[in-house]
Amino acid sequence: MKKEIAKFTINDRPYELLVESNVTLAELLREQLDLTGTKCACGVGECGSCTVLIDGKPTLSCSTLAIAVREKDILTIESLATREGLHPIQQAFIDHGAIQCGFCTPGMIMMTKALLDENPDPTEQEVKEGIGGNLCRCTGYVKIVDGILAAAESMGKEGGR
Amino acid sequence: MQSLKPFEYVEPATIEEAVSLLSDYADKGKLLAGGVDIMPRLRHRKIKPAFILNIKKIQGLDYIDGNGGDGLRFGALTTIRSIELSPVIRKDYSILYEAAHQLPSHQVKSMGTMVGNLCVGTPASDMATSLLALDAELKIVNTSGEKILPIEDFYIGVGQTVLEPGDMVTEVILPSVMPGTRGSYQHLVRTRADISKVCVAVWITITDGICKQARIALGAVAPTVFRAKKAEALLNGRELDQDVIEAASQAASQETKPITDLRSTAEYRKEAAGILVKRALNKTLERAKA
Repeated sequence: MKKEIAKFTINDRPYELLVESNVTLAELLREQLDLTGTKCACGVGECGSCTVLIDGKPTLSCSTLAIAVREKDILTIESLATREGLHPIQQAFIDHGAIQCGFCTPGMIMMTKALLDENPDPTEQEVKEGIGGNLCRCTGYVKIVDGILAAAESMGKEGGR
Repeated sequence: MQSLKPFEYVEPATIEEAVSLLSDYADKGKLLAGGVDIMPRLRHRKIKPAFILNIKKIQGLDYIDGNGGDGLRFGALTTIRSIELSPVIRKDYSILYEAAHQLPSHQVKSMGTMVGNLCVGTPASDMATSLLALDAELKIVNTSGEKILPIEDFYIGVGQTVLEPGDMVTEVILPSVMPGTRGSYQHLVRTRADISKVCVAVWITITDGICKQARIALGAVAPTVFRAKKAEALLNGRELDQDVIEAASQAASQETKPITDLRSTAEYRKEAAGILVKRALNKTLERAKA
């Protein structure tokens, strides 16, 4: 099996990495780059906890070969907070208790970012449909939906981010 | 978590290159597009290909062209999400929109291709059920050329299609829509995120109140998606009234060959199939009157 040097843009930083063809994007992020914010729960694309954005699209990193997304623009949960503070989605999740054990949170937040980038002012139903691919085993969905709606509102006020 | 077994990874740049490599690798090669089906199967060691051919780098396979008046085509790399978001498909081929829209996971819809879903060969494919009712055709390419095959002839068993090693589906072709055509997609699921345990797609051309051409497709109630032709025959030439709807629903139910599994018993599926056909026919009637 050949290893290849592949270029990636991860969280707006360029990387050149030696990648084996059978390595998933989730493994690359967590094991080669120590970006352990992205979680792997089911490993087979059922739960959404490994969601990252690739060229803005919500993508299951456990079900994506790293080599297949070279040259792409990849955003993980680590990209959201800045020196100025937390991202409004992160803040809204905290404010609304939308986090219990926290394991689904990075995937839930990245899916929320994709949802709000596409639809900045979603209805409650659109939010529920938007996170249809993200499971919360604590079943804290009510607060997660509240958090997402609050994030949409606060991002709308500050003109998006 | 178990990592994937090693394999050689190749990125063909053209359809010609892809089918030539597929033909060389024969049963040792697997096509990869969105990965939502193949990646879990690789993880679980259900398939152990020596070669993975990623076709995502092939240009010109991600499109939706045409409309209900002229017919519509989409390519091997068109995602389920693109189908769901297409205003033309939502307006002119509503049952395909409905089948795509009910899938809960945005991630799966954004990654997964419609053609990939069809090629998995599951009889529970919501999209295959709708495309069967729409009388779709598939373009299949291999090193000796290309052919067009009705989707009705594509499936031969659970997880089995007529595709031979070296074959690749490059396009789906939908026929033009006759004026007065309406339909409905209905399904039952155990939970919102689960696959369908019964699904039904109905597509009927109604002229002056009479059914001219009715197609009823069912999924998850036989080894393949199939058309309930006895039920269709009861509709053609008749007015879509409650007696006809009842008779067709019962006939469709009798045409199913369901199994018992963890999602439902065979008896339940058979009965539920009739109920869903009835719902779909009533919805179609309601839309025809609107």
